[in-house]
Amino acid sequence: MAVSPKSFAQGDLQDQKVAGYKSPLGVIHLHTVALPDFRTESGFTFEKIDVSYQTLGKLSPARDNAILVCHALSGSAHVAGLHPETGRPGWWDFHVGPGLAVDTNKYFVICANVLGGCSGTTGPTSVDPRTGKSYGVSFPFVTVRDMVAVQAKLLDHLGIEKLFAVVGGSMGGMQALAWTTDFPGRVQNCVAIATCLSHGAMQIAFNEIGRQAILTDPNWHGGNYSETHSPAHGLSVARMVGHVTYLSEFSMTNKFGRHRQPGTGTGDKEQFSVASYLHHQGESFVKRFDPNSYLYLTHALDRFDLFEGKVPDTILQRIRARFLVVSFASDWLYPPAQSRELVRLLKRANIPVTYVNLDTEYGHDSFLIENPPFASLVRDFLENGLSSAHHHASSARQEPPAAN
Amino acid sequence: MHPGIYKTVAQWIPEKSRVLDLGTGDGAFLEQLVQTRNVTGEGVEMDAASVARCVQRGLVVHQGDIADGLDQYGNGTFDYVLLLGTFQELLAPADIIREAFRVGRQVVVAYTNFCYIRARFQILLSGHTPVTSSLPLSWDQTRNLHFLSILDFQNFCQTAGFREQASAYFNRRGAVHWLPNLRAAESVSLLVPGAGFHYPTPREDADSQVQI
Repeated sequence: MAVSPKSFAQGDLQDQKVAGYKSPLGVIHLHTVALPDFRTESGFTFEKIDVSYQTLGKLSPARDNAILVCHALSGSAHVAGLHPETGRPGWWDFHVGPGLAVDTNKYFVICANVLGGCSGTTGPTSVDPRTGKSYGVSFPFVTVRDMVAVQAKLLDHLGIEKLFAVVGGSMGGMQALAWTTDFPGRVQNCVAIATCLSHGAMQIAFNEIGRQAILTDPNWHGGNYSETHSPAHGLSVARMVGHVTYLSEFSMTNKFGRHRQPGTGTGDKEQFSVASYLHHQGESFVKRFDPNSYLYLTHALDRFDLFEGKVPDTILQRIRARFLVVSFASDWLYPPAQSRELVRLLKRANIPVTYVNLDTEYGHDSFLIENPPFASLVRDFLENGLSSAHHHASSARQEPPAAN
Repeated sequence: MHPGIYKTVAQWIPEKSRVLDLGTGDGAFLEQLVQTRNVTGEGVEMDAASVARCVQRGLVVHQGDIADGLDQYGNGTFDYVLLLGTFQELLAPADIIREAFRVGRQVVVAYTNFCYIRARFQILLSGHTPVTSSLPLSWDQTRNLHFLSILDFQNFCQTAGFREQASAYFNRRGAVHWLPNLRAAESVSLLVPGAGFHYPTPREDADSQVQI
């Protein structure tokens, strides 16, 4: 019952029908590495963690062209190219590839599945070596900072000391921000897209609705469900709520309006196309996502706070990166006001920030779709970072003069 | 604006200054300052295409209006704040310049002289509001909110407590030294805070959090 998108411009690549789509990168394989000893912020120690990651392009001999792309809530390490098993394109195939916004001809691109995820990196579905069973809800509390710390370990493993750039949208943007404060010496450029310093009540509220859908599904069983009897329905409802918040009034009207199609409603032989679309989104999501993982990651999102109650300037003065902050005028989940709050604090701490509020009409999803103005913005920003890195690498930050 | 204005401003700004260009457009002038005067520059611009062009040039740019742009910065972040050609479009020009003095030490303002002789003749002889090379758009098309002369600007500075440290005037033939209020089409002034100047009271919210 899926509504096929009229064009790729109308949707992201993750759960769409993608017949006929060709990735310029072809099939790209994913890797998994086991990293020893990781301690979470909550104090739990893993003897080892698996990290699923993908790399694209070539690392320069000077090892100075690495870009870490951080994925959002529902993403994975599979950022671009076609998946070897499913044949699906990566979640950012529109923007990562040869000649694209993140140009794989120039940069060595790394993307890793986050800690607590369910696409290859250690998470609630992984087997707990102490019990021989899945962690489930005995998995430790995970934070965005933990995700970033794991990525730093991965870079150590790959022999990459410094990132030319860290790039991410939404939850990926939070990771990008945390990179600049937690590993300031390792990040030259930061591209923070449709993100925020911390979730507001509305964002937490939407996540809570999603979590409640999972927690109240009779199959959740306190988190100890089997693969065949999982709270799939709860997760699909969570995804439907989430998906609505990623779109905009314009994109929904444009895509569905009040169009109806045959369907099984209560006493009604028809259903609205938007309903069918949401069902499809929910159904395809449960095939690739774990309900417990959704609970852990949304908690990590809600608890993220770049300053964590500290005086912002004490955190901000660590930062050495140059910033591009992008928001979308139609994004009501991560509204431009949140990006502007971030920009203002960065600028007032004398950090070079370029801020652009793009007029894209597709809501929060605007960074996942084909979006030429967005693509050139990111490409140009990175390109200038590349050329200025050789000319005046040390001039990124200036000490403020005495106040008037 | 007249090319002489940009030349003059480039001469006023010492090497390696920190410059904020309000209404930076496509960033051409700011880029020139960065390249020829080795300044650290940032721009503020509203128009999306112009902002994209600034990013392409490798400039640090903030998309927003002038008041919003100024609000991003802490006290004394810049040596020079430039307002070239957008001055007449500001709803509250005195407030903006006061804010600019909070953010920077000196403010450069360029504007069009509405009492340029050609404009005066048009009003007098044709009975229409003037359309000249420096006032190219008709009354319904122009973004200008205010129509001022060089004398008006001088009075404005006196009233608001701004001191004109240097000024230069231009018409189509070049620099004007004699009777500028009559003969100059465009003017540029380097302002510093004058005797009666009061800095705007700082906003309480972010200033209390971020110590600069």
